[in-house]
Amino acid sequence: MIEKIKIENLKCIQGSFELDLKQGINILVGNNEAGKSTILEAIHMALSGIFRGRTVKGNLTQYLFNYNVVNQYLDDVNKGNAPEAPYILIELYMNGSFPILEGDRFTDKSRSSKTSGVALKIALDEKYSEEYESLIKAGELVSLPIEYYDVEWYAFSRKALTSRSIPIKSSFIDVGFSKFQNGSDIYISRIVQNILETEEKTKVAQAYRKVKETFSKDPAISSINSKITGISKLSSKKIELTVDLGARSTWDGSLITQLDNIPFDFIGKGEQAIVKTDLALSNKKAESSSVILIEEPECHISHARLNQLLENIKSNYGGKQIIISTHSSFVSNKLGLDNLILLNQQKTVRFNDLESKEFFEKIAGYGTLRLILCDKAILVEGDSDELVIQRAYMDTHDGKLPIEDKVEVISVGTSFLRFLEIAKHLSIPVKVVTDNDGDISALEKKYEDYIGTNKKSNIEICYDNEEHIGTLILGKDKKPFNYNTLEPLLLNENNLKMFNSIFNTSYTVEDDLHKYMKKHKTECALKIFSAKNKIKYPDYIKRSLL
Amino acid sequence: MKNELLIASAGAGKTTLFVKKALACSDSVLITTFTEENEREIRKKFTELNNGVIPPNVTIQTWFSFLIEHGAKPYQGKLTNKRINGLFLVNEKSGLKYRGKYPVYFSEDEIDNHYFTSDYQIYSDKLSKFAVKCNEKSNGYVIVRISALFQNIFIDEVQDMAGYDLVFIKLLLETDSVIRMAGDPRQVTYHTHFSSKYKKYYEGKIQEFVLNECKQLECLIDTDALKGSWRNNQTICDFANKLFPEHPQCESLQKKKTDHDGVFFVAEKDTEKYLEKYLPMQLRYDRRTKKINPKYEVKNFGESKGATYDRVLIYPTKKMLDWVLKNEKIDSFEVKCKFYVAVTRAKFSVAIVCKNNDKSDVLPIY
Repeated sequence: MIEKIKIENLKCIQGSFELDLKQGINILVGNNEAGKSTILEAIHMALSGIFRGRTVKGNLTQYLFNYNVVNQYLDDVNKGNAPEAPYILIELYMNGSFPILEGDRFTDKSRSSKTSGVALKIALDEKYSEEYESLIKAGELVSLPIEYYDVEWYAFSRKALTSRSIPIKSSFIDVGFSKFQNGSDIYISRIVQNILETEEKTKVAQAYRKVKETFSKDPAISSINSKITGISKLSSKKIELTVDLGARSTWDGSLITQLDNIPFDFIGKGEQAIVKTDLALSNKKAESSSVILIEEPECHISHARLNQLLENIKSNYGGKQIIISTHSSFVSNKLGLDNLILLNQQKTVRFNDLESKEFFEKIAGYGTLRLILCDKAILVEGDSDELVIQRAYMDTHDGKLPIEDKVEVISVGTSFLRFLEIAKHLSIPVKVVTDNDGDISALEKKYEDYIGTNKKSNIEICYDNEEHIGTLILGKDKKPFNYNTLEPLLLNENNLKMFNSIFNTSYTVEDDLHKYMKKHKTECALKIFSAKNKIKYPDYIKRSLL
Repeated sequence: MKNELLIASAGAGKTTLFVKKALACSDSVLITTFTEENEREIRKKFTELNNGVIPPNVTIQTWFSFLIEHGAKPYQGKLTNKRINGLFLVNEKSGLKYRGKYPVYFSEDEIDNHYFTSDYQIYSDKLSKFAVKCNEKSNGYVIVRISALFQNIFIDEVQDMAGYDLVFIKLLLETDSVIRMAGDPRQVTYHTHFSSKYKKYYEGKIQEFVLNECKQLECLIDTDALKGSWRNNQTICDFANKLFPEHPQCESLQKKKTDHDGVFFVAEKDTEKYLEKYLPMQLRYDRRTKKINPKYEVKNFGESKGATYDRVLIYPTKKMLDWVLKNEKIDSFEVKCKFYVAVTRAKFSVAIVCKNNDKSDVLPIY
């Protein structure tokens, strides 16, 4: 199995990125552009030499490289510096006994013991160093000189790899844009090929050859051939129509897979994903210890079928390693939060490593996913706070809802610190909106890891800097009213008259309105949310909206 | 005993035996041999004995190619990270720094120059030393890895191994893998080494090497099983035996008769006629022998090792001819070996070219 992957400068990965993987199921969760697909594609590339259905070698483009890295390089070259030409490196560190892949050509020098693995490197070809140098001297480079690049695909033992020689096979189950010229799906034929024994493959190849030969010998074809030869006046040589018998294993490109007499390509995308997964899971060949890569299974698939697919994965993965990317909390919940890897801007957290793991397991992961998948989050205590913040956001952002800007307002109850743990690990920008409850020093103690000298650049705790007191006493047990929650502070910022008009009430004393708002918390919040009036907000709320 | 060394006569069926034993192995097998010629011979034998295919658990590689792929490359990192661009064959000591009064060589700390050419090909005489050093620097991982890859290792033409090759072989003998070696001490024709390492086991002393240096290791030495020749007839066997009277004498198992059997002299003037009549393979010491007839095929002695021909026509060196004609001792071990190889190629007849005026009753003159 793959124990660790290291990627440098591939697509959205700038610099170096490392991720530890475990046996069995690994779920990658992260926003778009977080690098989930890049990780899946990188693994597949390093195990098959194939990128989006074509060999990497034959289809090198600058777009495989990280945009910023290339730009920086071009900038440097054109300024007359001589920077190192950017390269892409993918390394898969294997766990388990693969002596054929074992050696010391790998970059993680913290490993001293025996290490096996495979790597794929796209770098400047030494052969062209002269041409390259003169190109750099000339300057005015507008793109990466990809014509001087080469792909090196090797085991840590420095042995060049071929898709035949590699002992670990990968099956990539995507939403299907990888096709042979004839439309047949390249990944499904790979999966089918992986299942077949050598002997069976030879038999298919022979049968295919026979069909082609029969075609040439058909009387219709031979009569056509004599006609063609007769037509040609220019050449005395024999001209014939025949079938290409050249390449050894062309059958995989020419044969298509059918389901209920329908070519695989013509069935629904969701069904394709299910069949591919099924086939990949059913590959029982012992020697092909395999990795199954699944990209966003929730796309193109109905809820019921998704459920089936996940059940199938869960109960049949056996000794295989599954790496799956998803946006869906359903998928992550179904496959086990234990297997979750949270990704953001090249940072990763294993769900299992979080201190708050048990807490998040109980609340079903929905809030967690919202936090991971947003660009920015505002954490509030309750639903009514959430509504007021939404409204305040719209007022300060031209009427746009926070979610339109990928800002999530998440009500987290009393669990602020648990959410902050994730935000801290993943560097997600987060504002916390909290009441000071009349005891600022207690609050500052609670958030001591996030304020003052411990302030994290991505996390801000927003609270009112004043402790407000009043005379209102509530209930039988004479509890003093808390003047430091959002509602009284809002009233403070605005006035009685305006709130009376919003709530359609007619209180004359503020404390009476306080009692009303406390009693009808959510209702009031909804009314504030949809009020036509221009509302003023306390300072700490405004800060949270920046 | 787990390991074995088979001492074999020319034409005793060493390759056949090796291939049969390899086919009986169910786990992974490496067969390595010194020359490409013999590697081809082994492949051919597999296809003969195994319905045209080499089983997937069997790897056949020349010694050099095996050493590059599995000895040098996997753990070269502690010595050099540059890419090794294959092998550079040398026939004298490599890594010359300058030639003053005495030649001065790069020391082994000057890795790039000691082991490699300027375009980073590894010198053939240093390859096994490099592999041994990689193994030392990597806590022995090189050998552990090879042993994990190949549970059975067959080394053919083991008599050609010398110096660090022997160190490497000793390391292999120490692993759990089963090592089988075979060789004929009379057929040393290639030397991979010009170093002083284990110099005393040059000249075909592989048996002594195993006896003296690998005492603690389980290795059976078998000199009996392969002493008969399936190739040469008795006259040829007898003639070849005389070159190495100290070795066990080889007996012929080849009983087929033709109209021209035995060992003969052919005068230079008669070679054309002889070639036309019997179509023997011409064998010479090396390319410097110009007297051969270019109309017919020719091979160097060393090159012909492992091959079988019905008849051969040998162009001897002066030392060889003096030995045949005047029974003068051949003082060069290499010359003796090459002559032995040449003679033992033929099934039916060996012809030795002599001067037109040479007279002798040692051999019949054609």
